[in-house]
Amino acid sequence: MSGSAHISDLTFTFPNAQSWAMVRTHFGVSSFGVNAYIAEEKGVEVIGEHDELGERSGHHEELYFVVSGHATFTVNGDEIDAPTGTFVFVRDPAAQRRAVAEEAGTTVLIVGGKPGEAFEPSPWERTTRGLVHFANEDYDSAAEAYEQLLDETPGDPGFLYNLACAESRLGRTESALRHLRQAAEADANYAKNAIGDPDLDAIRDEPEFSAITGQAGAAGSGS
Amino acid sequence: MTEKAYEVAHLDELDRFPVDEEGLLWRPVRRRLGITAFGVNAYTAEKGDERVVEEHEEKDGHDELYFVASGRATFVLGDEEVDAPAGTFVHAEPGTKRGAVATEPNTTVIAMGAKPGEPHEVSKWEEIFVAFGHYRMGDEDNARKHLTAFVAENDDQWQGHYNLACLEALTRNRHAAIEHLKRAIELDPQAKEYAAKDEDFDWMRDDPEFPA
Repeated sequence: MSGSAHISDLTFTFPNAQSWAMVRTHFGVSSFGVNAYIAEEKGVEVIGEHDELGERSGHHEELYFVVSGHATFTVNGDEIDAPTGTFVFVRDPAAQRRAVAEEAGTTVLIVGGKPGEAFEPSPWERTTRGLVHFANEDYDSAAEAYEQLLDETPGDPGFLYNLACAESRLGRTESALRHLRQAAEADANYAKNAIGDPDLDAIRDEPEFSAITGQAGAAGSGS
Repeated sequence: MTEKAYEVAHLDELDRFPVDEEGLLWRPVRRRLGITAFGVNAYTAEKGDERVVEEHEEKDGHDELYFVASGRATFVLGDEEVDAPAGTFVHAEPGTKRGAVATEPNTTVIAMGAKPGEPHEVSKWEEIFVAFGHYRMGDEDNARKHLTAFVAENDDQWQGHYNLACLEALTRNRHAAIEHLKRAIELDPQAKEYAAKDEDFDWMRDDPEFPA
């Protein structure tokens, strides 16, 4: 749809002081990816470390634009000082990149697409249908969103993991552990994620949790 | 040579090519950084009362998103007028009339676009904008050099010949203007219709060899 919106009207904030603005889905842009990320505090990651090669990535070349504030980017180990107005273009999908805010309120706009191919949304983007409810601490709606996403894509480890997180928050211990196990069996990285994820604190002392993560009694500490 | 994994540029380092006589500046982002998957450029209005997005409808099917990076602008979007301070996104689907006039000094708008359902193709107009940017900045030689190289690489496309004809007409090179206009019309007869209305050629319309 044609229309307009201010970036501040599109954001939702997570407990870890990160805010997201899902620009592409808001407007229904169908020919390139575009979103914005805001670090509400200095020192917070405004772009999480990633490459564009994974199953949930779009294999995109990505353009980052520092809309406000000041960030330090790291691309393949190189540090880049990026004040407001800086463009950082990462053409290599294999390049590891991340950015940390040097000022509270640092906002980075990201535009992406895959060279030589018609645009397809990155698979991870659908997960925001549930993540937005985590930001609002509405775990019932988050669980419902991930159940729907799993109906669409059965067995998706990311959706299973987030469903487990919502169920843990809701005190649904048995189903949370079942879905966490399914996620970890499909992708071992989710077992590692679980170790420091506060969403899973309610099931952390369960013997089954230790069996899944391989770390008996691991304490929650991460974001 | 291996292509570098990343490129960095600050908005202040981008070229500033005049697009019209009123002060709209085109700041090529895609071209500077070597982006191939989508189009992206910045436009700056320094004075604060001039056009910052040309009024058009994207008849070639591009889906476009504008972001006001600094300053403030009033957009036209279809039949609506939109006040757009810094931080505003304006999305225009193909066929929707859009344009913007700055209402504060140093207003910069970033325009992003691509065609849905198709791999992105770099717009040929970028190189033509560059050439006429040089011309408007008083660098006729660089403008001609740039357009001549563009035509050499795109000899079978009418747009290059047509724009080189315009440049030659603007710089009063009668023979070269006529030759390139003839070639443009040969490649696509619609060039004749454009030339009939294009004021760049006004001074040579009565020339018996003028082809439009």
